[in-house]
Amino acid sequence: MTAPLRSFLAEVVSAGTLLPEPERARWAVNGAIPSAVLMPSSEEEVGRILARASQEGWGVLPAGFGRWLAGGGGANVELVISTRRLRDVQEYEPADLTFTAGAGISLSSLAEATGANGQWLPLDPPGGEEGSLGAAVATGMGGPLGQWYGPPRDHVLGLTMVSGDGEVLRWGGRVVKNVAGFDVTRLCIGSWGALGVITSVSGRLFPLPEVDVTLILEGHQRFSLLPHARALALSSLPLAALELLDPLDWKEGGSRSPAGLVVRLLGSREEVEAMETRVPREAGDAGVFKRLEGEESRAFHGRLGRWEEGAGLVLRMVALPSLLGAVLRLVEDSQAQWKRFPAQEGLDVRVAAHVGAGVVRVAVWGISLEGDGLRGGWVEALSGLREVLEGMGGSLVLSSGPAPLVREVGTWGGRRVEKTLMQGLKRQFDPQGILAPGRFAG
Amino acid sequence: MDGNDLTEPLPLQLLRDLQAAVGTDWIFSDPDRMVVYETDAQTAHSQAPHAVVLPATTEEASEVVHALHGHGILMIPRGAGTGLSGGAVALRGGVVVGTSRMTGILEVDHENRRALVQCGVLNNDLNAAVAPYGLHYAPDPSSQSACTIGGNVAENSGGPHCLKYGVTSRYVTALRVVLPDGRVTWLGGQGREQGAFDLAGLFVGSEGCFGLATEVEVALLPLPEAARTLLVIFETIEDAGRAVTAIISRGLLPAALEIVDRNTIRAVEASIFAAGYPTDAGAALVVEFDGVEAGLERHAEEAARCCLDAGAREVRHAESDQERMALWKGRKKAFGAMGRLAPDLLVQDATVPRSRLPGVLARISEIARRYDLQVANVFHAGDGNLHPNLVYDRRDPEEGRRVEQASAEIMKVCVEAGGTITGEHGVGVDKRKYMHLVFSPAELEILRGVKQVFDPMGLCNPGKVLPDGQEAP
Ligand SMILES: Cc1cc2nc3c(=O)[nH]c(=O)nc-3n(C[C@H](O)[C@H](O)[C@H](O)COP(=O)(O)OP(=O)(O)OC[C@H]3O[C@@H](n4cnc5c(N)ncnc54)[C@H](O)[C@@H]3O)c2cc1C
Ligand SMILES: Cc1cc2nc3c(=O)[nH]c(=O)nc-3n(C[C@H](O)[C@H](O)[C@H](O)COP(=O)(O)OP(=O)(O)OC[C@H]3O[C@@H](n4cnc5c(N)ncnc54)[C@H](O)[C@@H]3O)c2cc1C
Repeated sequence: MTAPLRSFLAEVVSAGTLLPEPERARWAVNGAIPSAVLMPSSEEEVGRILARASQEGWGVLPAGFGRWLAGGGGANVELVISTRRLRDVQEYEPADLTFTAGAGISLSSLAEATGANGQWLPLDPPGGEEGSLGAAVATGMGGPLGQWYGPPRDHVLGLTMVSGDGEVLRWGGRVVKNVAGFDVTRLCIGSWGALGVITSVSGRLFPLPEVDVTLILEGHQRFSLLPHARALALSSLPLAALELLDPLDWKEGGSRSPAGLVVRLLGSREEVEAMETRVPREAGDAGVFKRLEGEESRAFHGRLGRWEEGAGLVLRMVALPSLLGAVLRLVEDSQAQWKRFPAQEGLDVRVAAHVGAGVVRVAVWGISLEGDGLRGGWVEALSGLREVLEGMGGSLVLSSGPAPLVREVGTWGGRRVEKTLMQGLKRQFDPQGILAPGRFAG
Repeated sequence: MDGNDLTEPLPLQLLRDLQAAVGTDWIFSDPDRMVVYETDAQTAHSQAPHAVVLPATTEEASEVVHALHGHGILMIPRGAGTGLSGGAVALRGGVVVGTSRMTGILEVDHENRRALVQCGVLNNDLNAAVAPYGLHYAPDPSSQSACTIGGNVAENSGGPHCLKYGVTSRYVTALRVVLPDGRVTWLGGQGREQGAFDLAGLFVGSEGCFGLATEVEVALLPLPEAARTLLVIFETIEDAGRAVTAIISRGLLPAALEIVDRNTIRAVEASIFAAGYPTDAGAALVVEFDGVEAGLERHAEEAARCCLDAGAREVRHAESDQERMALWKGRKKAFGAMGRLAPDLLVQDATVPRSRLPGVLARISEIARRYDLQVANVFHAGDGNLHPNLVYDRRDPEEGRRVEQASAEIMKVCVEAGGTITGEHGVGVDKRKYMHLVFSPAELEILRGVKQVFDPMGLCNPGKVLPDGQEAP
């Protein structure tokens, strides 16, 4: 630790804000442990920290609970600022179906607060509901429920952020319709900490559905359920979620089938019953669906949310939904190729796809770079896969993986982005370029 | 001066470049042809531009904008001119770049529920093109028969059904944009959540200040299979407001919840749009549910019960599509009819948290009384989006001043209630002076900076959205 940093920690940071030493190792960003992890208790304190960091040129990574810091690509980080202590529900008016809460509240705590009034925020980002609200917004990442409810950008009405030079800025508000000024709220959603530390979020809630039913179809061959999935995606049924899983573990510790199609139905009793009778038909008489209701259905989706826990490599592939079949074939071919790598024949490769959105997530257990030419093999394989996807007009994100692999392959692809606009915007919010250094505009 | 001197003609070389880009027929500056370009639907602001240019393609638009940029001439994007905040008016001179020739529907990709259109396509025409596939484009501004998709993008427009479906920005997935220097670029697109800021999201609602959107990719939804529509008549507008709160508190999610007040009903009933709403009523509420058939009936019944409990005097049900249209008519034609009340109409627009509606409405009628003005309310009640419209006669400058003062007070009341100064019509020219009610100086500075990133020379629709320094409080 440098002397200026040491004196800063003594002068600027209040007691209780510095994370105790033994825990710091858990906050490594791509293998590098930051000099300090700070947990400020107010926006103003976040502001003081960032103002100083800007002066000194210290790299800062905004974070929630640090469960997925590797996600956004290489960052050269001195300090991590965690929103963990900014976790109050600041405003909640059930009659308005809106709330404002600190970015450090977990989605599960928020669900508890709103559930008491029969309302919910229909967001299910990867990693499950123990993640923070701020991280869901900063990553802009939704999950299966996006099929009907849309990604975080459709739920956020406004947010408070602290910019790189320590200014507290409020964008949007807590009303559902708001076109005053340019839409900076949107710009911040999915900005991965590169524009500021998000300190609070206002969002739109929905009435909790009366009935929660999940229908599950098992397939005997990998990827065999694709035609049924596409048929459902093209029906006019308002499905809450439509997921293809290969393989399918539909019960904890239960047996595994090679393939699964998961349909979630939310709504009134009559509506769900009507949809239930129509799903098998609209799926093209695919066979008998298993049925989960209420708590069982919720528990199943809870497990699904933590689906890639412990995987050594996670890929996120996006293409037009009509290309889903082609993407799944690519995965199948890739898997065969990976398993031919020395000592990788035991790889466990699983796939979960958001059918409506054309998103295919691939999680790999048992990946190793320690072997003859293994590292080079993986780099080449993943770069090649990305190239093919980009050739199809899609993209591949290396959501997580062994640090050297992430470094060489890069988290994001070479998708054509407006570099000048991106860098110009970044400078407005973070003139010294200290936030999430190395992430996409840095 | 700030802008282009209106007494100076455009440079000859520029005229030649513009003619070369679009052909001589599609650039004009004769007063007769330019008259419709002097205002938008908010007629209070009026100014003829130096000229109007109508490109037909992105390439032509790019050449036009590049030429203007080269000569330091202002560029004002314009769709159909139905805007209600003066956004498309060339107040500081310059050239209006109109999109009325860019009406191509480039692709309807029903397999992926998306369409790619040129920016001048009318909202209704897009819907007509995708309906054969059982799809629709959800945002439905009341002006949808006249307004363009490009204008909707620029204003982030909403509509009655946005309560359930959300506004324009939810549906815009990619934009092809001519930047203010003439460069063409794509914003958003496949996998836009990844590795880039949401530039398409930022562009939506930028009111023509960031460049000209020439092509728009939108997400489509399947047409709802069925709908139930109610028209509920109330003695007072407060009762109608309470009914709305009761419906939402019950956990019902209607597709639309729209209120018209007594003055509006009377205007409609006295016009050619007469819809059979009772003229002695205090307010009428349109409630609509849509989705799969099952369950709609019960939802409609529950909503009707909420209304009756809140003091409704009559609930009308639509039994057919035709009856449904009839119930909607009084709401949809409200603006058209209000034009009859007085020579001029200031269509106001603000949002408040839904639960504050009754209190805010009472404050608004008190303000109107105090300034001796007639206010006619039409609003998206489910979203808390108010249109307290003021009727006046602009030839009477004293009345004009009262309208100004009353508007300023209404804006303050809405902001104090936790709301904002515009819900869907935009800041444009009119509301720049209220921007400081919702933004701090530091935030305004960032907004200016963001504008500069897109438009470093300040040539693209200047004098809109951002207050000039001297207009701060
Ligand atoms: C097992 C598992 C798998 C996951 N898979 C994926 C995946 O495939 N793709 C994906 O995108 N995410 C993934 N995530 C991340 C997940 O979606 C949530 O973002 C995360 O769980 C939230 O945890 P956290 O609050 O600890 O956030 P953190 O891990 O602390 O932060 C997550 C990211 O968001 C940024 N961030 C967090 N808070 C803020 C803030 N207040 N202001 C600005 N930036 C902030 C951080 O810089 C970081 O990049 C996964 C998480 C887990 C646990
Ligand atoms: C009777 C009536 C009812 C209305 N109802 C509603 C309603 O329910 N909901 C609602 O939200 N609005 C409503 N409006 C307002 C108006 O119709 C919308 O704002 C509409 O989106 C404007 O579209 P336009 O094509 O007429 O744009 P214009 O008025 O021509 O322009 C509006 C703004 O957009 C910019 N612009 C236009 N095209 C482009 C482009 N291609 N690229 C970049 N910038 C561009 C212009 O510079 C200007 O700032 C209503 C208006 C009327 C007259």
